[in-house]
Amino acid sequence: MVLFLQQLVTGLSIGGIYALLAVGYALIFSIFDFTNWAFGSLMMVGAYGGFFAISAFHFPFWWGIVFALILAGAVSIFVEFVAYRPLRHRGAPRLFLMVTAMGVDIFLTNLAVVLIGGSFRPFPGVSAQQVVHLGPVNVGRLDLIAAVISVSALLALWYFIEKTKPGLAIRAASHDTATAGLMGINVSSVAFIVFSISGVISAVAGTFFGIKYAVWPYLGGISNKAFISSVIGGLGSLPGAVLGGVVLGVLETMVSGYISSTYRDLFAFTLLVLTLLFLPYGLMGKKVQDKI
Amino acid sequence: MGYLNSIFILGGINVLAVVGVAVLTGYTGLFTIGHAAFMAIGGYTAAVLVVKLNQPFWLGLVAAGFAAALSSLIVGYPTLRSKLKGDYFAIAMLGFGEAVRLLLNNTYKVINGAIGFTGIPLYTTSLLVLALDIVGIWLIRNFVISQYGKNCVAIREQEVAAELMGIDVMKTKLWALAISAFYAGVAGGLFGFYMTYLVPSMFTSSKSSDLLAAVVFGGINSLTGPVLAAFLLVALPELLRFLYVWRLVIYGLLFVIIMIFRPQGLLGYRDISWASLKRFAGRLGGGGRRSGPGLKSPPPARVAASGGGR
Repeated sequence: MVLFLQQLVTGLSIGGIYALLAVGYALIFSIFDFTNWAFGSLMMVGAYGGFFAISAFHFPFWWGIVFALILAGAVSIFVEFVAYRPLRHRGAPRLFLMVTAMGVDIFLTNLAVVLIGGSFRPFPGVSAQQVVHLGPVNVGRLDLIAAVISVSALLALWYFIEKTKPGLAIRAASHDTATAGLMGINVSSVAFIVFSISGVISAVAGTFFGIKYAVWPYLGGISNKAFISSVIGGLGSLPGAVLGGVVLGVLETMVSGYISSTYRDLFAFTLLVLTLLFLPYGLMGKKVQDKI
Repeated sequence: MGYLNSIFILGGINVLAVVGVAVLTGYTGLFTIGHAAFMAIGGYTAAVLVVKLNQPFWLGLVAAGFAAALSSLIVGYPTLRSKLKGDYFAIAMLGFGEAVRLLLNNTYKVINGAIGFTGIPLYTTSLLVLALDIVGIWLIRNFVISQYGKNCVAIREQEVAAELMGIDVMKTKLWALAISAFYAGVAGGLFGFYMTYLVPSMFTSSKSSDLLAAVVFGGINSLTGPVLAAFLLVALPELLRFLYVWRLVIYGLLFVIIMIFRPQGLLGYRDISWASLKRFAGRLGGGGRRSGPGLKSPPPARVAASGGGR
């Protein structure tokens, strides 16, 4: 019983981060209808940004994190302007957008490998090992903080998207980008906002994983879990992304605790295949059809 | 001589795998990352059959192809249903690549997991690679110019219209995937029997990116483009060894630049055929235009006929 509760708590914490990441990915997908493969490398950019800010430039810890968020947001917007926007305005087929996104991801990740080096670096200024005792269950202090941060970030995002005017623009664009543009919504501004939000989210997750494990160029590989969460929850649906993230996080941690932690990633893939077999559009997916 | 021979063999193996990816991504428009997993499955299948179960080499290669093709159904069947966007497939392929590598890394019985499967005899010769390349490319060329190939192109261009025209979208996509997986599997088998050992870390996402790069640089909707690019992408890094570390950085940058400025790559939508080579030679030899069967003189003006009818 204790193991179950333990895994549940850890699972909810990691699920929260997956949910946050999945929302960051789903935001872009729901509006612009393509997968931003560079999402993982943005996580890495955020983590390295924080790392260098704190260790090389001696920023205080939280300012280092803020720097990481700003850096990743800026890179995200830069990538959108340079790599994605020209193709979108040209009406390029989805295949081209995916190749470009993959190119950005490969470029950024391997640039880090070449310039910074592939070794693992511990994130400075904090130790991930402290444990908090909640009754019979022990939770890492970091996991607890992560859970709090992801829940608050998700709530803040929810408020922004549901209750504010820019959020209304985002919802409209996500429903039908072309018509939103015709109705007077500045889709370029929406792009600006959405890509910066996505960049900030990836930096939050990136610094979290950097602290929890280590900072290295392939840190962005965890974004696969975000993609899988979003597919499980239903591509294009923001609540689905949250649900998928939490479900994946909890189930994964359960498998990790009860069966084996080596095959945790294999389980994620299996869950993906099983979900798609029985629910082709995911848990809450929207059935969108191309119109000719 | 051995050095050139090895470049030829590795290039030829790459060509075989790339031709498969060209069918899937270039002609059918399904973005695939993680294709190296099929090479891994093929390589290990062939190695286990020949080394552990003492089967003949040709059977190992054929089994490698079929094993990879069958495994492609795991990824293909849930994600290639019509009306599902290509992103489902791409994400599943990404997961599949990681899952296969994880499985191979952690299975120590028989295949030795992360330590590597050693003791594979050197059965791959340049003659064998050349022969398989020729046969493989010829078969794919026939596929591509047949109705099956045209169905793939139709799906790439506009899937809903293709379905309206009566094309069974899911079946065609599954076939394209199975064929590309088969080729990757055989290539993986050849690879194992050339390197004489197999380690799961040979088949990481950089290998998948290599395969995709050859198709992107070579051009979509083309066969000769990716074949040339596949060979170049093995030979050039050898010539430019000092840039080796920057290889993937350059690839990434080139992906973006090519998509923005020249999405058709080297030879997109065009193929080098005997007819085109003859035309090219003719133009070089004769200089200037000569009327031949391809050039028609403009039709005579019909102004008089229609002008008088007012």
